Amino acid sequence: MSYLVMECHPSYAVLLDEEGRFLKAANLRYEIGQTVYDPVLMKETPEKQRHTMRWISSGIAAIAACFLLFFGIGYYQNYLQPYSSIYLTINPEVQMDLNRQGTVVGLMGTNEDGKTLLEGYDGKGKDKVTVADELIDRAIEMGFLSEGGRVSFSIDSPDEALFQEYGTELRTKVTEHLDGRLTITIEIMNHQDGQGQENPENSSSPNSFQPTSSQPASTSPSSSESSQPGIVPPTSSNTTDYDDTDYGPNNDGVTNYTPPASSSPAYADTDYGPGNDGDTNYMPPASSVPPPADTDYGTGSDGVTDYTDGNTDYDPGNDTDDDSDDDGDSDDDDADDD
Amino acid sequence: MNDDHKIVQQVYAAKEDMQAADQLIGTYLPFIKAETAKFLKRPPIEGHDDELSIAMIAFHEAIGGYTRTRGAFLKYAAMLIRSRLIDYSRREQRHSRVISLDAPSGKDDTTLGETLADEREPHEETAARDATRAEIEELTRQMQEFGVSLSDVTDNCPKQQRTLDACRKALQYARANPELLNDLLKTKRLPIGPLAAGSGVERKTLERHRKYMVALLLIYTNGYEIIRGHLKQVMKGVAVR
Repeated sequence: MSYLVMECHPSYAVLLDEEGRFLKAANLRYEIGQTVYDPVLMKETPEKQRHTMRWISSGIAAIAACFLLFFGIGYYQNYLQPYSSIYLTINPEVQMDLNRQGTVVGLMGTNEDGKTLLEGYDGKGKDKVTVADELIDRAIEMGFLSEGGRVSFSIDSPDEALFQEYGTELRTKVTEHLDGRLTITIEIMNHQDGQGQENPENSSSPNSFQPTSSQPASTSPSSSESSQPGIVPPTSSNTTDYDDTDYGPNNDGVTNYTPPASSSPAYADTDYGPGNDGDTNYMPPASSVPPPADTDYGTGSDGVTDYTDGNTDYDPGNDTDDDSDDDGDSDDDDADDD
Repeated sequence: MNDDHKIVQQVYAAKEDMQAADQLIGTYLPFIKAETAKFLKRPPIEGHDDELSIAMIAFHEAIGGYTRTRGAFLKYAAMLIRSRLIDYSRREQRHSRVISLDAPSGKDDTTLGETLADEREPHEETAARDATRAEIEELTRQMQEFGVSLSDVTDNCPKQQRTLDACRKALQYARANPELLNDLLKTKRLPIGPLAAGSGVERKTLERHRKYMVALLLIYTNGYEIIRGHLKQVMKGVAVR
């Protein structure tokens, strides 16, 4: 390949090759118009290593991005995505969006008063109960809520268990929070079917407040659990000596058997075998019922039929005709005659 | 620190402007010489040692390849000069068994070169070179009317074979339609639209290599027979396709 020298600079020369490329090369004392064959061309492409580094770094970045995405989705689902909602209604209506952990991720006033209530308040990242307490406090401050007022929590959750849990928690905690200040009716509703949780009469009053007793049993899984009879597994108090067996090579010839003490007197006075003392110790049972002296077959029947007419056949002077050839004597007498 | 900042600025300016690059190389010639001396283990002689030229082109390359992320410019340039000098010395090693024409021939004061029968005719060659130079100077002057210098064209020259082929295809179309070349000379503007439409080359490709296309088309207007003769490969390449 021949090159035509097109331009000469102190530091380099411009060459034109046969294919029409203009190239820079080291100016080895060239002159314009000269044809050269073996120039030292300037390397145009940067080092290859830079490309491999770029590949490696972009690969690492891609993997990192995948990881971030993976964990990000997990984090989002657990902490950022609204999972359930609580609609707090006093007069101001406020929608609280909760994540899976029960932390508030979004607060929104659904009517004008609700927006007023939320003005300048940031409840994000707080627990739902904290937010509810603080919002109720704000409502009291702003005059939305007063003695005898009514607070309604409408809970929108994907499953019933969560609704029960949140409802119980809110009711308990909010009444505790307001204890001693105001008497407020708290209403828990399921947002999906509009059904209220049990115990709508629950109110917090300074005197009659009993948080546990006012709680319906069905809504408190912890109390029902404790009422179950405890099943205590049998624990053996006496230590068993497994090492001292009387069988096999470990037999020490001592059985360590002691007969039970209580049974020994019974064996000593048996009326059978060698222990027979001739005395059976038999006591005839005392008849608790007196012999039926004059019962005429019947429970308390009296003796009309005592056959005591004084004319029994056993009497020698019996004149009744028992026998055809009876001579007035019994058969015993006949036998004597023979 | 401030000095360093200045040189970085100068380098960035030199990337855009060839004149500035030349100036910068002139300013830092002692540095380049020092680096070459470190390699040669003796001071280089200007106009005699190829190594100095290599070091200068390496410095030039350093200007082109430098970015702020690469650290201090002079360290980078020194590294590049050293690398290019090593490359050059390895390339020259294959000639290590060849003796120089400048070596004494043994008899009288003549060198080995002078004892050889010169087949080339130096006068004819000088004449041809002068003709070529005249052509090139004319081309350079004409290119200046378009606001294009040869150094610009060098920077603008397609690097990829495919792009080069596309440019040749456009050139081929322009040669088949001489009115395009006349247009170019008359309006001093590259007729990118008709070129792209006629040759089927992407307009973007032509726009990107506008300066190169200007030089190439100018060479194929009139005159410039010697340069055109040198470029026989260009047309051959297209003919094969």
